[in-house]
Amino acid sequence: MSDGRPETRPQVIDGPYFSRLIKASLTWLKTNQEAVNALNVFPVPDGDTGTNMVLTLQAAYDEIEKTSQDSVGRLAEKLAHGALMGARGNSGVILSQIWRGFSKGIGKIEVLDGQSLVHGLTQARETAYKGVVRPVEGTILTVCKDSASAAEDALQNTNDPYEIIHEVTEAAHRSVERTPELLDVLKEAGVVDAGGKGLLCIFQGMVRYMNNQPLDVAPVSVKPLSSIGKQEAQNAAEPGQDYEVIVDFRPYNPLNLEDFYSDLEEMGTSIQVGEGDGIYRMHIHVPTDKRYEPIDYTMSLGSISKVHIENLMEQVEGQEDPDITDEPLKLTTVEPGQIAVVAVSPGSGFTRIFASLGAAAIVEGGQTMNPSTQELLAAFENLPTDRVVILPNNKNIIMAAESAAELTVKNVRVIPTKTLPQGLSAMLRLIPGQEMDEVVQEMEEAVQEVESGAITTAVRTVEIEGIKINRGEIIALHNGSLVSSADNLKDGCLSFLDAADADQYELITLFYGENISKGAATDMADLIREHYPDQIIELQYGGQPHYQFIISIE
Amino acid sequence: MTNDIQPQGNIHISKQTIATIAFQAVQRSYGVVGLAPKNIVDGLTNALVKDPTHGIDVEYRNDLINIDLYIIIEYGTRIKSVAASVANTVRYQVEKTLGLPVNEINVHVQGLRISNSD
Repeated sequence: MSDGRPETRPQVIDGPYFSRLIKASLTWLKTNQEAVNALNVFPVPDGDTGTNMVLTLQAAYDEIEKTSQDSVGRLAEKLAHGALMGARGNSGVILSQIWRGFSKGIGKIEVLDGQSLVHGLTQARETAYKGVVRPVEGTILTVCKDSASAAEDALQNTNDPYEIIHEVTEAAHRSVERTPELLDVLKEAGVVDAGGKGLLCIFQGMVRYMNNQPLDVAPVSVKPLSSIGKQEAQNAAEPGQDYEVIVDFRPYNPLNLEDFYSDLEEMGTSIQVGEGDGIYRMHIHVPTDKRYEPIDYTMSLGSISKVHIENLMEQVEGQEDPDITDEPLKLTTVEPGQIAVVAVSPGSGFTRIFASLGAAAIVEGGQTMNPSTQELLAAFENLPTDRVVILPNNKNIIMAAESAAELTVKNVRVIPTKTLPQGLSAMLRLIPGQEMDEVVQEMEEAVQEVESGAITTAVRTVEIEGIKINRGEIIALHNGSLVSSADNLKDGCLSFLDAADADQYELITLFYGENISKGAATDMADLIREHYPDQIIELQYGGQPHYQFIISIE
Repeated sequence: MTNDIQPQGNIHISKQTIATIAFQAVQRSYGVVGLAPKNIVDGLTNALVKDPTHGIDVEYRNDLINIDLYIIIEYGTRIKSVAASVANTVRYQVEKTLGLPVNEINVHVQGLRISNSD
């Protein structure tokens, strides 16, 4: 996008330049389309705000694409017409009203100066607000209003439309950031308003074009500092990128993230950048001979406070775990007439534990991958017995298990186990030759006698039952209900044990997930032993995804 | 009355309740500038009795909730989009508040309001 920007800008915007600004807005809005969609908090069918705004602005731009030699007044009229015809969804309708107001406000002008730009924006505000009986603040309407007010203020000092667009964009940015303060649903979901953000993108596109900044590259995201660590890096070790380097530094000058990323990309892979309180953390995987390069490079940008280098190959080797074996799984063979247990397991560790306790069939599934009724049916239809017990081990799977029980001629009973500890506890009561009713009763009793805990990382910022959770924080669930959120795994585990009154029980078993190393799990078990000296602490490999730990207390 | 069988008894929700929820949702819907009586008799009744939900009809048919909206739209907006959007908003708000599915929402555009001189 470097074509045709005049070296010295005149104090007006002519037709061709105006239409290039609109094209820049459209391009930038498209670049950010998914980011805007992701902000949506209402699960309504027209909820894809980013897409709706892109389609509306595209329809508007289509009207002027071939006639960019026209006057600005004429172009704005066509834009308004195109936006009206193409308006999609709520945000699209509001955007079309904004264009209609803008077009009316600037009138039949040849070129756009500061004065007429401000007329356009204030009229856009009036028109936008006329379209609704009770305007909701904290939405695109608020951003439109704040932008127009900023334009009016800017006009006191300058008649340069370029400068006014800059001012307006900054005001729009502040306004978007403020939307959660005005609208509770946004605050609860921890997002800014999608429509407001879309309008901001339209202004930003113009500014980026004027500054010769790229329009087709989405801005690089910066994660919170706490979310970048070694754990997730371990999964990503790849051949040739043998060293992991993490550098904490405070830049001398504001960091240009795009340049920073592209420089790092020349050195290695798995690049992540985090920021907190002005300190940046850079994470990268590099080949052995380049292991000092990222440090030298970062040193040129700021003062380094911490460096961490680790040989990933060592990590991978060190991770080899006696609990994770390649031995083929040995399931219990049932005799005709005996009771066969079908257990649902989310990970290889749990699968082995269930198998060792006498399960006749295992169906893979869990929190995010519920097995279908068909898969459950297939697991027991061919077993040489007609007496079957299913342990769903997840509340979302109980229903599928019950449907499977109805669809077969076999005598199938579902023990409604909602958690893995409940399933294991029930499993221990299995006596294959006993009467069905007795076994089911024993198992159902066992389910009541165990407390289940799950420790995981929040995937987004929410507030549930009065507990505020930030994305990336550790959350602890007790029998499926949230009990606390914490900064680290240690506090998460301890707060769960505390909430479950673990000191009143005898045995605490930790099942560590696929994303936790044996070393880290052992440390956690030791820590729990210190806090609960009277209880027996056991550590097992569960191999479940998402959950760092599943904890059973009995 | 719509009935929801509960272990300890029944819950009855009046049509007026649903109409009020819908009314609030309509007022916040972009592009809708008012509700209109659906016919002259209705208009006369409304002139006498100040009904906050005139222009909204709620019916139960075979345990299904059907809502009819009689609205006035701002001139210059795309009617199709506004109508679709108000139907979505009303459905979302009613279903969220009641916890019951809404079967059908019919939008009747009764008129346009011209507030700009263009």
